[in-house]
Amino acid sequence: MSTSRAKLLFQLATGTGSGKFRIQKLFRLTRFGIFAVFGLIVLSTSSLTIYTVDTQLSEEYATNARNISSTIASASVDILLNQNLSSLQALIDQFIEVEGISYVYITDENGEFLAHTFVPGIPEEIRTGDHSYHDPVERTLSGMREDQTGDFIEVGSPILAGYGGTVHVGTNLQLVNQKVTRAIGQQVWLVCIILFVGIFASIFFVNLAARPLAELLAYAVELARGQAEDPHADGTDGTGSAPIDREFPGDSVLARDDEVGTLARLFLHFRRLTQQPGQ
Amino acid sequence: MSDSARPNPRISRRDMVRATAGGLIGALTGSRALRAAPAFVRRVGSDADSILLGVSAAFSGPSRSLGIELYRGAMSYFSHINENGGVNGRRIELKVYDDGYQPDPCVENTLRLIREDQVFLLFGYVGTPTVTRALPVLKKFQDERAYLLFPFTGAQPQREPPYGEFAFNLRASYRQETAQLVDRFVEVDRPRIGMFYQADAYGRSGWAGVRGQLATHDLNMVAEATYTRGTRFTGSMRRQVEILMDAEPDAVICVGSYAACAALVRDAVDMGLRVPFANLSFVGSESLLQLLTDDMENSEAYTSLLVNSQVVPSYEDASTPAVLEYRDLMQRYDPPPPEELLTEPYDTLARSFVSFEGFLNAKMMTEILGRLDGEPDRSGLEDAVFSVSNYDIGIGSLVSFGPNRRQGLQTVYHTVVDDGRFVPLLDWGEKFGQ
Repeated sequence: MSTSRAKLLFQLATGTGSGKFRIQKLFRLTRFGIFAVFGLIVLSTSSLTIYTVDTQLSEEYATNARNISSTIASASVDILLNQNLSSLQALIDQFIEVEGISYVYITDENGEFLAHTFVPGIPEEIRTGDHSYHDPVERTLSGMREDQTGDFIEVGSPILAGYGGTVHVGTNLQLVNQKVTRAIGQQVWLVCIILFVGIFASIFFVNLAARPLAELLAYAVELARGQAEDPHADGTDGTGSAPIDREFPGDSVLARDDEVGTLARLFLHFRRLTQQPGQ
Repeated sequence: MSDSARPNPRISRRDMVRATAGGLIGALTGSRALRAAPAFVRRVGSDADSILLGVSAAFSGPSRSLGIELYRGAMSYFSHINENGGVNGRRIELKVYDDGYQPDPCVENTLRLIREDQVFLLFGYVGTPTVTRALPVLKKFQDERAYLLFPFTGAQPQREPPYGEFAFNLRASYRQETAQLVDRFVEVDRPRIGMFYQADAYGRSGWAGVRGQLATHDLNMVAEATYTRGTRFTGSMRRQVEILMDAEPDAVICVGSYAACAALVRDAVDMGLRVPFANLSFVGSESLLQLLTDDMENSEAYTSLLVNSQVVPSYEDASTPAVLEYRDLMQRYDPPPPEELLTEPYDTLARSFVSFEGFLNAKMMTEILGRLDGEPDRSGLEDAVFSVSNYDIGIGSLVSFGPNRRQGLQTVYHTVVDDGRFVPLLDWGEKFGQ
């Protein structure tokens, strides 16, 4: 891209054209409208994104925990009936490696612990709590191993409809929140990039549209001041059919085949009318 | 004589999951189709000159002493056998892999030993969390009859359905070890028993044994504290000690590795908890003792409270024929650890309960291989094992196997520290009575 072309693009984008006149007032409202619309889009999109990501990711982790607890509950029936607790422990140890799962414990039908993954011991809140529930429960644990300290959401699944006991799976809410925050941050970052590109592009096109108007305005003002000479004083109609032997600022405007060109020619026509003797 | 290597990266995680899940599902569903014996079993793992055994054990990490010493004890006997013509003219060779006492590498090693190395049998595995995860692999490849013999663990999974049929054990179980410890503590009026255990299948196996035996006395565990597998001696156990102290126990039964158990004893004594600390055979008594005595100011206080359960008699007992043979062969061959697998320097132990168990495992293994008729064939292994009845292995207890008896020895021994070494505990009342 040549330097002059790049300069023109920059001027168009920033509205800093080289002409004396700039269309400020006419497009102020337009620019404000663009900002407002884009801002509204960003706000609404971000809000929807935050809500959707938060809900879906949180639900996904909760669903994972539910699936894992029900999988363990299904797979542990035979092991439980055989009282093979080391195999039961080996089974739950495999699931503790799943991201987001912080602890798993299994209680029998009397609430007695059969296997768990807690270190350095079973938290008091859990040891003394009710273990027969199946709905999600929020817990705050302290004094545990680092990955088992903090806020958790715990789900339970019955084994043999509860007659065999219950499997409980705890998901680390901090990890879920971190994931949600990271996902939302990425979404908002993308929306912001789109916003700035959109605003930049809008200003560019507004300025592109404003440039001929600025030239028309400049031409009209010079015409009114009488500074602009009539290039067609020889009687031609100003459409370029007559030879133009010198450069005139209004030439480019008069030569346009759009509405701006028509207006410029009308201005010139009115000027000629007003200059005719007796008018 | 031994061939050692790192785990094979070509075994993918998917293979491991398939094998483990397949075995698990087959075991849980009890599929008769899966159990059906194949019409043809390939003869693998042996030729005219040798029989290849596959080993996956801890040769690195905090529990490496167990894998290394078990291997050294076995190699002392196999070296002796090979030097004297082998088993029916065949040398016994070991293919050795390191699993670092971690389940996933153990599964990976087992797959490689069965599928690629085509070993005749799996032998001398170390640890419950590792063996427990390898058992479904044996179930998955049951058509190939890949048996595991004499793993260094007393857990139940390889002694009971659905996986018991794929393993043969020599040593007594953790259930037997913990039962005797509980009984002895109750006898000397120490009924308030707390537990410290590894948060995995090994710890749970010991926990279940203690819980079950306490129930026979109408007692409950007064406290339980756990630690993460792989914890080193430098780690703090103060939180665990606090949990135990809150319950004011009369004794603590530890089901862990030597590094973690030594750390617990150290912190407990330092914090004022002075009760007997009982450890199971898996702990590695000499390594535990070494940690609590080397460069420790309070070593007498730390070690005076130890009582360790053993599944082999004391290697200090010169009246036992197998002990004399073990001491002679360990001195003669002094088997080196598999150098390729060592990630850091290791000072071998001249004698230990672990290497003595490895020696006895090798002796029993040799006896069974010698009972195979003709060409060594996996299909004849069960009959060979079941033919062992009241076999005198040289420790005073006789070894017997059978279709409903997949554990050869049943005896448990107790030892305490005296003059810087573990010796038999003869009088519980005198030592720990109150």
